[in-house]
Parts: sequence; C-alpha cells; structure tokens
Amino acid sequence: MECVKTAFDDLCILDEEKTKGGRMEKRKHIDSDDEDDKFKSKNLEAERRRRKKLNDRLLELRSLMNKATIITDAVTYIEELQRHVKDLSDQLLKMDANCVKEEETTKIEETDAAEEMKKWGIEPEVRVTSIEGTKLWLKIVCQKTKGGFTKIMEAMSVLGFDLTDISVTTSKGAILVTSCVEGNQGGLPDVDQIKDFLSEIIKSI
Amino acid sequence: MYEESGCFDPSNMQQEGLIQAEDGFSQTHIPICNNQSFSMEEHSNYPQNPTQQDVAAAVLEMELQQQINLEMQQGETHLMQEIVHDSNWQEMSNFNGYINQFSLPDTPYPTTPDLLNMFPLPRCSPSTTSLLPNSSISFSKSAQKSSNFLASLGLLGDLTPVVADGASASASVVYDPLLPLNLPPQPPLLRELFHSFPHGGYALGGSRTSGSLFPGVVDERDVNGGDGRHFDNGVFHFTGDMDCIGKNRDGKGTKHLATEKLTRVLIKDKYTALRNLVPNPTKNDRASIVGDAIDYINELKRTVNELKVLVEKKRCSKERLKRAKREDDSMEGNIDTKSLDDMGQPYNGSSLRSSWLHRKSKNTEVDVRIVDDEVTVKLVQQKRINCLLFVSKVLDELQLDLHHVAGGLIGDYYSFLFNSKVCEGSIVYASAIANKLIEVVGKQYAAIPPTSSY
Repeated sequence: MECVKTAFDDLCILDEEKTKGGRMEKRKHIDSDDEDDKFKSKNLEAERRRRKKLNDRLLELRSLMNKATIITDAVTYIEELQRHVKDLSDQLLKMDANCVKEEETTKIEETDAAEEMKKWGIEPEVRVTSIEGTKLWLKIVCQKTKGGFTKIMEAMSVLGFDLTDISVTTSKGAILVTSCVEGNQGGLPDVDQIKDFLSEIIKSI
Repeated sequence: MYEESGCFDPSNMQQEGLIQAEDGFSQTHIPICNNQSFSMEEHSNYPQNPTQQDVAAAVLEMELQQQINLEMQQGETHLMQEIVHDSNWQEMSNFNGYINQFSLPDTPYPTTPDLLNMFPLPRCSPSTTSLLPNSSISFSKSAQKSSNFLASLGLLGDLTPVVADGASASASVVYDPLLPLNLPPQPPLLRELFHSFPHGGYALGGSRTSGSLFPGVVDERDVNGGDGRHFDNGVFHFTGDMDCIGKNRDGKGTKHLATEKLTRVLIKDKYTALRNLVPNPTKNDRASIVGDAIDYINELKRTVNELKVLVEKKRCSKERLKRAKREDDSMEGNIDTKSLDDMGQPYNGSSLRSSWLHRKSKNTEVDVRIVDDEVTVKLVQQKRINCLLFVSKVLDELQLDLHHVAGGLIGDYYSFLFNSKVCEGSIVYASAIANKLIEVVGKQYAAIPPTSSY
C-alpha cells in the first residue's frame, strides 16, 4: 500500500490519512473492512483514470501543434521565464539592500584566520626557484584574507609572468599558492628580486 | 471501370450516338466528353426520343458519380460531373437540348433558353479572370442540391454570350457562379474548352485530357497550334494527383506558392526570434537553434527555482533576525529564538540549494555549480591572455570565498577550477556568476589587440 501514498501525492491529505488509517486497521483487525477497501480502490481507480485521461489529452494536444505554434510557444515561454528571473532577482536585491551585516562577519573571519595561522605556527613565506631557462617555480604562503589572492595575481601579472599552472589551497587560516610560471618577456628580473617583491606584497595582505 | 461506362453506354443507341459524336466532333470534343460526357451522349441522343435521353442521363449520372468518387481533385471533370450529378431529370433534358446546341460548332450560338432565364444567377465580371487561377475551389461532396446544378447552368448560360464575345471572358464566367460550390480551380481546362468554340475548332489537348476515357484515340499533336499553346499552361491529365490544380507546370498554383512562401517566411522569422532570445547562440541552423533554446529554457527554469529558494532563505533569515532583535530588546529568554531557529532550520535544510549552469561563449566556457553554499566554477578560455586576475576580481566582487584553485595551460587553452564558498546571506546565484564571468572575460578579450599572439 506504500505505493498509494507516493503515487498520489496530489491527493488531499484527508485521503492519505484515510489510507493510512486503513493500513493500520488492516494490521490490527483480521476481518478487514471490505467496504473501505472498495471505496479506496474505487477512488484509486477513478483517480488513476482521471489522470490518465488528462495526460493522454495533453499529449494529444502537444502532438497537434504544428511547427509554427511550437516555436511561438517556446518564444513566449522563454520570455516569461526571463521575466520571472528578473522579478525574483530584483526582489532579492531589494531584500538584500535592507540587510547590512556582512561587514561584521568579514572582520570576524579575518581575525579568526590570523589566529589560526599563529596557532599552527604557519609563517608567511615566499619561495622562488628557477627551473630551466625562463621557467620559475613559486611558492607563497600567507594569511587568508578577502582579496588576498587577487593581490597575488596582480603582482604576478605585474611581473609579466605567463602562467603555466597554478594550485591554490587554503587550510588552517593560511593560503598556499604554488605556481609554475614562464617569464616570457625577456629581461627577466633576478630571482631574488622577485622574491623580495612578492614578500612585500604578501605583507600588505 | 468508369472508362467503360464513360461515354460508352451499354445501350446500342448510345454507342451509336457516341460514334456519331466522335465522328462529328473530332478530337476536341473528347475532352469535353470527359468533363461533359453527358453532353456527348445528350448530343447523340438529341435526335432521339426523350426517353432515351433520360436513360442516357441516368447512365451518365451513374458513371459520373463514380468518376466523382474516384477523382475529386480533377477540376474540370468534376466540375461538369457535379453539374450532371445534381441534375434533376427534367432540367437535364432541357439542358441536353441546350448543350447539344452549344457543342455543335456550326450551329449559331443559341439564345439563352428559358431554363437559364429562370435562374437568377450572378454574372461575373471579366475582372475575375485573373482571380481564377488562384481561386482554390474545392468540391463539396455533400452538396447534392439542385442549386449546384442551377449554378452550373448559370455557368453555362453565361457562357453563351461570353463565348460569342471573346474567349478570355469565358473563363471568368465559368467560375464565378460556381465559386459557392467550392469547386477546384480548373481555369485552363474550361478556358480551353470554351476557347475552342470561338476558334471554330475543337483543338483541346486530346490525350492529356481524355486519357482514361479515350485512350489512344486522341493525339495531342493534332491539336490546333493556336489552341495548343494554351495547353502549355494547363495540366490536363487526370491521374489523380494535384498537378491539375492551378496553372503552373510544377503542379502548384501561384496562389499556393505565394501562401507557402509567406508561411515559410513567417516561420523563419520565428526561428530568428527564438535565436535572439538565447544568450549564446552558435550555428544558425534550425536544429541547433531549437537545441540551444531547449538548454536555455532548462537553465532559466533552474535559475527560477534557485532564486525562489534564495528568496525564501532570505525571508526566513530576515524573520529570524527580526525576531532575534525583538527578543534581545525585550530580554526574553533564548528559548524562543531557538525554537524559531528550529522551525526555520528544517525548512532551510530540506530546500538544499543546488543549481548548475553551463555557458559557452566564443572563446570562453563557464560551468557553475552550486550546492548549498559551495560554488564550483570551471573556466576554460582560449589562451591569449591570462584572465585569472580578472576572474579572481569578479569572484571577490561576488563575495565568494576562494578555497581552492587549480588549473593551468593545457594546449591552447587555460583551464581553471575554482572552489569557493558563498558568504552567509549572500544572494548570489549561478546565473549571475556565469553572466558576470563571461562578461568580464569577454571584455578582456575585446580589449587586447587582435594581433597579439604567443
């Protein structure tokens, strides 16, 4: 009888309760109420038939559509959905405008991050190594902050690096950036210079 | 079967009459026979008793009925068949006389018989000639009224003076009274038919028209040169296809062509309208337009659901905040707020927010997946400029807390994966992220000089 409940979700709660009660009663009483079952199954059947009829008719309606109507309907539906999206997003923005509490959470997060780093003894760090030719390998460890990663990326673009690959993880309040870059614009600065430059950057994060 | 009964009546008299008719009226009469088989028979019966005429008429009616059933689309045939079909005998016999007179080339065109004067039917103007090829006249099988016959009588009645006047007008006359019948248009056939009379010859396209009735009897090459010209436009074969409708060789009336073209243009416009709605359309063929539309509709549906969830969440959290404030102000116990939270929690928990989105643009591909508060963004861009900086700026703007980033250069493309968390209370949704990213990256690509390449 479980299927009854799942199959007919749109039945009113009353019906569900009735069937539930029916189930319970069945378990308890050996002489089950035939009358109830009859009504139940009649309802079931009637409901099934009704929905089948509706579905069949809808399918037929769909099949009747010609190409032009299908396309026109699609256009209308898309426009309607777009309007929905717009309305909802405007509504959301309006609701958001009334709330001003993000700044507090940001500050809380940052202080937490700094504390955690200290707790784990992670120190900010910059390492720059030359692999071959103009290829460099970078490692940066610094405190995780909002916009910190962006600052690092800015620095890297200032240095004129071509990114070969990059990997960033955050853990324990710290952010680890590992990257292999290609210094492509001749006149590559000295490795130490790069290191100093980057250390400055992360200090300001 | 109808061939046999066509103009060849079982009765000997009929056949004789027919042969007579054939002899008398060379080939041009044959197409008429096809359409007006009754006319031949009537003609043949003309010198005979009225009773025989009636018999002939009966036979004709039968045979023509069959013909009607077989080839409803054959215009002229049916035209005339209808005329016969709806006849009542009295009128038929009168009509016979008229037709007989009419079909004889050498008899002077008779004055309109009383019969015709009896039927006040509208006469059409020559101007309708031009409309005729385009008129889509279809047969009404069910109309078995004498009115049809009346109309047809009127048709032929009109014919007389017009034929005398000029060939072209006859066509116009032919159709106008019959328009209410919804007969299929056969302007060339009838036109030829009536053109033939003033020309004094019956050079109607023989084999083409009379195929089934007089196979091999008529040679279309015998057609008068002058009249033969007319048949170039006409399609005279009664082969049961639609070719005979209309005037063009390719089988479609000019009106059909015009309407079809119009519908084609309309449908094409609708396809382009659909394409314009979709954000990043690729390929201009109909299949991909529809495919893109499908994807976009699904995307919009997901976005709508996502936004609904967000709005609900926002409302819930607002309610909670309000209540919390009130609680704080009134210094009532935390129990109330907790219970409220509990009420709110299950709702939020059950409506786990999840959405994903895949957008492609000319040189960028963005895939955004949101599960609850985790946002995963996959970005594939053509290697020309490194947009990582701009992307991370965008993510900062959207208040996405970057947790992991991985990616690099793969062949010609940069591919990146960003794992981030949505800040509490943020209202960012997948579609917004994707849009923003594509916008920013697109701007960067537009900004770089086109000649730059690594």
